[in-house]
Amino acid sequence: MSRGVAIALAVAAALLALLLLLPLGGLVWRALSDGDVAAELGSGATWDALRLSVVTATISLVIAVLLGTPLAWLLARSRARAARLAASLLDLPLVLPPTVAGIALLSAFGRSGYLGETLGGIGLSLSFTTAAVVLAQLFVSAPFYVRSAYAGFSGADPRFEGVAYTLGLSRWRTFRSVTLPLVWPSLAGGAVLCWARALGELGATLLFAGSLPGKTQTMPLAILAAFESESGIAGAVSLSVVLLGFAALLLLALHRVTATAGAYR
Amino acid sequence: MTLRARFEARVGDFDLAVALEADDELVVLYGRSGSGKSLTLRAIAGLLRPRGGRIEIGGRTVFDAEAGVDLPPQERRSGYVVQEPTLFPHLDLRRNVLIGLERDIDAPGRYEELLRLLSIEGLDGRRPHQLSGGQQQRAALARALVRHADVLLLDEPFSALDEALRADLRAELLRLRREMRLSIVFVTHDLREAHLLGDRIAVLDEGRVLQFGPRDEVFRRPASRLVAELTGFSNIFEGERRGDGVVVSGLPLRAALPPDTAQAEAVDVAIRAERVVLRRLDPEGSLPENCFVARVVDELAFGNTHTLHLAPEGAGPPIAVEVASRPYEILGVAGRERWVVELPADDLHVMSRAAGAGE
Repeated sequence: MSRGVAIALAVAAALLALLLLLPLGGLVWRALSDGDVAAELGSGATWDALRLSVVTATISLVIAVLLGTPLAWLLARSRARAARLAASLLDLPLVLPPTVAGIALLSAFGRSGYLGETLGGIGLSLSFTTAAVVLAQLFVSAPFYVRSAYAGFSGADPRFEGVAYTLGLSRWRTFRSVTLPLVWPSLAGGAVLCWARALGELGATLLFAGSLPGKTQTMPLAILAAFESESGIAGAVSLSVVLLGFAALLLLALHRVTATAGAYR
Repeated sequence: MTLRARFEARVGDFDLAVALEADDELVVLYGRSGSGKSLTLRAIAGLLRPRGGRIEIGGRTVFDAEAGVDLPPQERRSGYVVQEPTLFPHLDLRRNVLIGLERDIDAPGRYEELLRLLSIEGLDGRRPHQLSGGQQQRAALARALVRHADVLLLDEPFSALDEALRADLRAELLRLRREMRLSIVFVTHDLREAHLLGDRIAVLDEGRVLQFGPRDEVFRRPASRLVAELTGFSNIFEGERRGDGVVVSGLPLRAALPPDTAQAEAVDVAIRAERVVLRRLDPEGSLPENCFVARVVDELAFGNTHTLHLAPEGAGPPIAVEVASRPYEILGVAGRERWVVELPADDLHVMSRAAGAGE
């Protein structure tokens, strides 16, 4: 590589890094100068929102993994045209704005939605409950997991499975002790993305679950509420920094776990 | 243990129809890539379901379309080894070889024995990426053998290795076959490997078995022009029957004829380059039987052999001759241009056109 190209690449990389880091730096600086992070951390409402965020995002992740892993495997191993079509449709929720996801959820499960009315008939109402938060998160975040798992299964040579069968391993045993370890990095990476997307989910939750403190108000919604309240940006900044710090810690921890688990190559 | 397989399968728009058997011997499936060799192995292993036919391994019917028998690969007792991927990358050698045998109390003893036989003892704890290519293939062989497979299905297992290692592993495979009562089906597109390993050879092309027989028969008496081409005959001529021999490019040749050839029937005549004899030209004498005069037009030196291309001066075909380096020097081939070429009657192989087209 020539010196000129190297410098151009370094400049481009530095520009983008700055673009990503400057706002985060601004956030921290603002929080330190006129926010009150300590007070927010001491407030029960902050902890409620944080706890709700973590619990719902984790439930969403667990459901996405339990249901998404078999789906991704089937899509990757099936030769049917329908499977290939379904695999390409997986991207659809990724390109939809979360508000559209919220409207879609409302029209299905809302009080006047086509499933919501039936559910209402038997005394079940989803919208504006914690379950609705999970549903909204699942809708927008599960495709991230399934997508990554699908890529992993598609990339894992099916001949490994064939060899395992001839060695007497059952289909389940093969999946558990051969296929799963092979695709583990993809699954773990997809899970991190899925969980992160669920944690940051705002639009669909707001429309479908509302912003009820302690019930449906997750951290992003609490930040929005703070921003719109009297305290304005000052309150929002402190909450944002709490979420930022927490997310950074968890991501680091997850990376450690996946790095050690996937380190057989 | 015997293997008997006769089945038809269809994958996409590729049709496969094979019939072969192995009786405690090594059968080579030989053909170009895309000829259906690997699919044949997959069908025997139970990884590909044929549309019809019957497969028997060690006296057990593992597939029978009519009777509705289709044993899963787990119950076929076949050892399946492919070129790559071979070992599971996340397991060490020991766990790779013993996977699925946790409850088999004899397995550890056999395991030690096989590791010794295949000279990979002491490598138990290594992950595949810490093993050389040759060690990985040895471990894959051990894994296929440790569970008393009735038939070993080897799909170009040595192709990814360099020549010296391949030679070692071939020799070891031959030794293993002598020591264990095993039927082995070995897929290769390497002619030398096919010749070295095969007791019997099945020549495949476009999903069909063109010829299946003992090695020497296939290599000396190919059933058709295509088999002759695939098995490395560099001299294949069009000719026709005349009297008790054939005529090729105006040259009458004495040769054994296939049964049922009619006078003047078009035939293919083949002779291997290494079977052609070069004689010094005697300007006084007349030409003996099956001989013609030709001129060297091209020469390729391969080190241990030389391949000469000669053009006929009168009647006779253009011909390739392979001469080993020592006779090449003794005859003084380098200095002479004109030679008498002899096509010995015993080495000429005449194929009826109808036989080739019929298959």
